[in-house]
Amino acid sequence: MKLPAYLKRTAFWGLGISLLITLALSAWLFRAGVNELQLQQRHRIAVMHANALSLAISSTDVEETAKRVREIQKFDPGIESLIVVKGTQLVASTNAADSAPRQLKRDEKPLYDLSNLLRTARETNRGEGVVRNKTIWVEENKPGHIQVSLPYLLNGEFAGIVQMRFNLLQPAMNIRLEDSGALPILIFFGALLVGGFLKPTSERRMDPAKLMAIAAFLLSALFYQQQRLDRLEQVWVNGNRVVAANYLETAEQYDRAGYLPLVRDPASANLWDTDHYQRPLELIAADGSSTDTEYGAKAADRTSFIKPILWAIDILGIGILLLIIFGYAERMYAAFKQHIYAYVYIAPAMIGMFVLVFFPFAYGIALAFTDTTLFNESLPFQERLIGLANFKAILGDFNLYERTADGIIWNYANFYWTLFITVLWTVSNVFIGVTVGFLLAMALNTEGLRGKAIYRVLLILPWAIPNYITALVWRGMFHPQFGVINQVLQMFGLEPVKWFDGVVSSFITGVATNGWLSFPFMMVVILGALQSIPRDMYEAAEVEGANRWQRLRFITLPLLKPTLIPAIVLSVVWTFNMFNIIFLVSGGEPAGANEILVTKAYKLAFENYQYAYAAAYSTVIFIILLAYGVFQTRVSKATESF
Amino acid sequence: MADMKTNRHILLHAVLVCFTVLALYPVFWVLALSFSGQQSVGLIDLPNDPSFFERFRAILPVPAHWSVSNFTEVWTEQSFGRWLWNSVIISLMTTVLGVFLACTAAYAFSRFRFPGRDTGMLMFLVSQMFPGTLMLIPLFIIIVKQLELGNTYIGLVIVYATTAIPFCVWMLKGYFDTIPYDIEESAIIDGASRLTIFWRIILPLAKPAIAITALFSFMTAWNEFILASVFMESEANYTAPVGLRFFVGGFSSQWGYFAAGSVIVSLPVVVLFLQLQKYLISGLTAGSVK
Repeated sequence: MKLPAYLKRTAFWGLGISLLITLALSAWLFRAGVNELQLQQRHRIAVMHANALSLAISSTDVEETAKRVREIQKFDPGIESLIVVKGTQLVASTNAADSAPRQLKRDEKPLYDLSNLLRTARETNRGEGVVRNKTIWVEENKPGHIQVSLPYLLNGEFAGIVQMRFNLLQPAMNIRLEDSGALPILIFFGALLVGGFLKPTSERRMDPAKLMAIAAFLLSALFYQQQRLDRLEQVWVNGNRVVAANYLETAEQYDRAGYLPLVRDPASANLWDTDHYQRPLELIAADGSSTDTEYGAKAADRTSFIKPILWAIDILGIGILLLIIFGYAERMYAAFKQHIYAYVYIAPAMIGMFVLVFFPFAYGIALAFTDTTLFNESLPFQERLIGLANFKAILGDFNLYERTADGIIWNYANFYWTLFITVLWTVSNVFIGVTVGFLLAMALNTEGLRGKAIYRVLLILPWAIPNYITALVWRGMFHPQFGVINQVLQMFGLEPVKWFDGVVSSFITGVATNGWLSFPFMMVVILGALQSIPRDMYEAAEVEGANRWQRLRFITLPLLKPTLIPAIVLSVVWTFNMFNIIFLVSGGEPAGANEILVTKAYKLAFENYQYAYAAAYSTVIFIILLAYGVFQTRVSKATESF
Repeated sequence: MADMKTNRHILLHAVLVCFTVLALYPVFWVLALSFSGQQSVGLIDLPNDPSFFERFRAILPVPAHWSVSNFTEVWTEQSFGRWLWNSVIISLMTTVLGVFLACTAAYAFSRFRFPGRDTGMLMFLVSQMFPGTLMLIPLFIIIVKQLELGNTYIGLVIVYATTAIPFCVWMLKGYFDTIPYDIEESAIIDGASRLTIFWRIILPLAKPAIAITALFSFMTAWNEFILASVFMESEANYTAPVGLRFFVGGFSSQWGYFAAGSVIVSLPVVVLFLQLQKYLISGLTAGSVK
């Protein structure tokens, strides 16, 4: 079969594939954008109704409130149910079975908690003069069914919460996207046609045909995306009109009922249409006229969240195009076909590693540049970006101690204190491990010693036991009241020690535990190395008149070095990251003074819920380990040459 | 001369016995606690003003009354049986998945020369440097919050299996490299496919190495505490390590149950470890020793 010439050209394939991907991704992105705008619009309408409701009952007594609540539900059919909670009291409810007013029941405690949360949020916002905490909580568990909770104010004072379930499935409130699928298909085939006429050389240098192909790609992709952006703005403007119409309709009903007067002044702000911090959005005026009916700055603002992703898509498309027109893709495909077996075998492990190791790693680093906590993690990523602030807070805080009348008080939460403890912890543990391991290995290596095998098996036991169990066992043995270690101290007439109350004693508990479980590794490694030293070297040295110290210094230690150094490197990294011992024995007591870097990062993430700060902390730990690794390879390379 | 030598050995024996007692004491202490039939952390109730010998009796790791009630109760009255079962299932699933992933990847690295091979091996090695806590937060957000795999076996299993991959791949690759290529060549000439060779020739020949890989994967899952405590929030889904901490962490102090549970959990791994330690040691140091 003979292929037509244009089918063999890279420009044809390059434009085809890259545009297909770019257009498809863009189309998908715009669909997601429209959904996002619809969601925002739904929430705006729900919040608007909730704000109106809260304002309408804000200066009345309990009976009047109950009456108004029932009336409002009658003329506002979107409201499925609503309740008003004041302190521990259920003031009003549209559900007759609730028999309001009454005290809250035990299983309604979440309402009371939510009320306290909103009170704190409101007071913090007012106290600090900066609006940082949401005072409106919106949930949409089923599409179209929105639950809004917001403060219930009585004469301007916080009294409780209003919770409203709102139904938004009426067709008039949904904006539609009139979509034409023809445009992207037209663009696609147009570009293909261009690609068919271009004849780029197969060489790896720029030529006019390649430039034309790139231009054709950019032209088609940007044209389509600009058209979609305009469309998206149109969608937003239409949505804003729907909201405005809905506002006017509702406001007239409130006006008629005499609860809230309708201000017919296009210049005054709309107090119903607010964000989740109860700040007016200023997108529609108090008289219901939309302040931004034409294409304008606001519509562009509201749709600009999509632009960074568009750029990413364009860069991806250009990348694919370049790969193809410069012939890399062809070669990659050929290599892939040739080694298909290898890739099939490697794929499962590689996919696993990418999804669960490399992606999370990159994600963790990215997280370090945000201010993500448990409470704002649903916000879009770019809104959480704060640059290097976390690293500045960690590394730039030199508030190590405070001078008071009673002397110096150390700031245990400071990064440098924790780093100091971590280094001290690593050095002392590795020192103990190596010393004890070396002594025992030397002892076990003595010729003619009986029972070597038994000693070896018994001494290796601490290594075999899972280390979290070891840690908990030692925690029990250090028990300040009943622990055996205090019993031993008292046996010799000493005072019992409250191990976890003092900085030094608490540090000792960790070192004792870790020393106990880490010496067998060193012992085994050193013993193996000792046994591989030929005996005749010692004999020769003895003949030459070397004493025991000289034999140790000039034969044993130099021959141990190649084994000992990797083992020490390994054990430094292990000890540096030894989460279980610190976490389970002392828990970093007292007051976090004995926290090492990894346990501190854990507590920041899972006890304080400061995910981003903890991620930045972990990134710093990673950089320290990386620096250590580089330093260590340099050193071992330098010593190798001797 | 002969006298001096025995004297020196007596000193050595004294040192070694000292250290052996230190190494064994916590083990005996847990054993004594597990057979004591009580929950308190002290083995003996001391009188108000105890004498030297009464205190000495208190530190001897021998229970006041021998009883197996801690074992029977931790099994029947506490959820420990359930936690142990969770651990068994998770560890076995991790072993199967981990061995499968490691075998296929190690085989490709050992037998094929393809573009990206060196990069791939290096990436496996580099990934060992990523600190656990840096991985913990994103994994928590991805697995628990996004994929909603918290409180499930599968969430922990896939994470454990991938954590174990790099070590297993490096070890298995080393072993595969020692299997002569001639065997495969003759099989290819006889018309065997790649899959047949892998399945019928390589895997059976590599049985010892696969056993070590399996053991390593199993122990990774069996002894893991941090991820399990973060992923498994509901008590019914705890693994044995999280459960054992539950007995004595925070404000609870059921030391008897903890001791009995620890003995049950440790026994299989200690036996396996003592049997296979020399392979693990060679695997650990193989990469670093020239």
